[in-house]
Amino acid sequence: MHERLSFHIKRDSIIHNLNPLTKLVLTLTLILIAFSFPWYWTPHLLVLVAIIPLSLLGRVFREFSVTALRLILPAAGFLFLMQAFFQPIGTDVIFKFYFLDITQESLMFAFKNAMRVFVMVSSFTLFLVTTHPSELMSDLTRRGLPGQFSYVIISTLQILPQIIAKSQTIIAAQRSRGLDTESSFLKRAGSLIPLIGPLVFGSLMEVEERAIAIEARGFTSKQTKTSLHEIPDPSFEQTLRWALVALIIISIALNLWLS
Amino acid sequence: MLEKIKNNFNTQTWVLIPIAIGINIAVGQIVLVLKLPVFLDSIGTIMVAVLCGPWAGALTGALSNIIWGIAIDPGALPWWPVAAMIGYMAGRMAQWGFFKSWWKVVVTGFVVALTAAIVSTPIAVYLFGGITASGSSFITAYLLQTGQGIWQAVVSTSFLTEPVDKITTAMIAFAIILGLPKRTIGGYPKPEQVETEGGTSKNQMYIAIGVVVLLVLFAAFMLRNILGG
Repeated sequence: MHERLSFHIKRDSIIHNLNPLTKLVLTLTLILIAFSFPWYWTPHLLVLVAIIPLSLLGRVFREFSVTALRLILPAAGFLFLMQAFFQPIGTDVIFKFYFLDITQESLMFAFKNAMRVFVMVSSFTLFLVTTHPSELMSDLTRRGLPGQFSYVIISTLQILPQIIAKSQTIIAAQRSRGLDTESSFLKRAGSLIPLIGPLVFGSLMEVEERAIAIEARGFTSKQTKTSLHEIPDPSFEQTLRWALVALIIISIALNLWLS
Repeated sequence: MLEKIKNNFNTQTWVLIPIAIGINIAVGQIVLVLKLPVFLDSIGTIMVAVLCGPWAGALTGALSNIIWGIAIDPGALPWWPVAAMIGYMAGRMAQWGFFKSWWKVVVTGFVVALTAAIVSTPIAVYLFGGITASGSSFITAYLLQTGQGIWQAVVSTSFLTEPVDKITTAMIAFAIILGLPKRTIGGYPKPEQVETEGGTSKNQMYIAIGVVVLLVLFAAFMLRNILGG
């Protein structure tokens, strides 16, 4: 578990200085094209010609690849294995392991799906590495997203590490009192309540206090709020965003038309 | 319509949602530590749905999966519509009065499980060809090997695994809400939905906990049978 849930790295680069919404649209474009464009090598090509150059452009290639690989390898790798073994398509068996056969088709299918997951995760990682969460949220709020949504996202990112740390403390505390977390199935199932109980009740007790605190700061006030720093949004970025949306529509249309 | 959505959200709802997401994820990890054959990763979602309403529940579910997917396990990301439907359906059931005694909560859990199974099937089939990165895909793979079609295999896997998980989740959420002081519950938009009927609330809590333990045992028994057979 990481100590904090923000991957953001402060640097000065073209990608960092883009408007957060542009980066978000770019990320969604990459993902949707990887999943919808009806050509086998699309996700592979996207990684080579879009994601890796963008990370170099953002001067975060090293941090980006470490974070992305740590997130991707377990997920994509497991998905690849499951699919390669269990997808019952194709007849051209190239490898046999007891009753499991790997056919060429299932291997290709698994590879494509693993690459799609790769594109999804790596483009999101790139987005998170180059964008500060509160910058994204204040930009979206300025565009009309209700302030409550921003509150939920930002405070989840803050609270999550705290709650996970709390659950680790509770597990350790209950174990030191002799709670059985590793023997027979019945004992483990019985340990569920003493672990969940303190965690949930402890966290819920904070709710009322927090509610009063943010209410005192004008949380539900209908007045328009002002922002301390402005986030630039030049006109070429607006054009770029529409172009990306057009790309998404073309890709999905091609997919529907060809299938 | 808009008014109905709005009355799900007061300040306490907005504060509860992040904490509920945290509970979802932390409990999901506790279950992994205990190596139990359930997920229990929507306790927070169901609590929000019951205390605040279906729309708040749906929002909690969706955000929970999206944030989990981005920060911890990318495999969770495509499933956000399932989580949202779980929240929505639990909220609707509570509105119809199905969160007031322990057997009604079992019904709620069952309905939520069916909804989850129905919503997750197209995602599993279209995005992953039926085999996802989840452990229950071993069952799907087994059914596929026996010659079943992909839709039947995925649907029957969900119908086997979901009810136990979701009924247990709803039961735990019920036990937690029963344990909360009345004053705390009163601050949420829909406190009347969890007023218990029949029996004292303490008895209800013991029954709920008992049912949870039985269900977890049943899940283990069923899994062993399926994988052994």
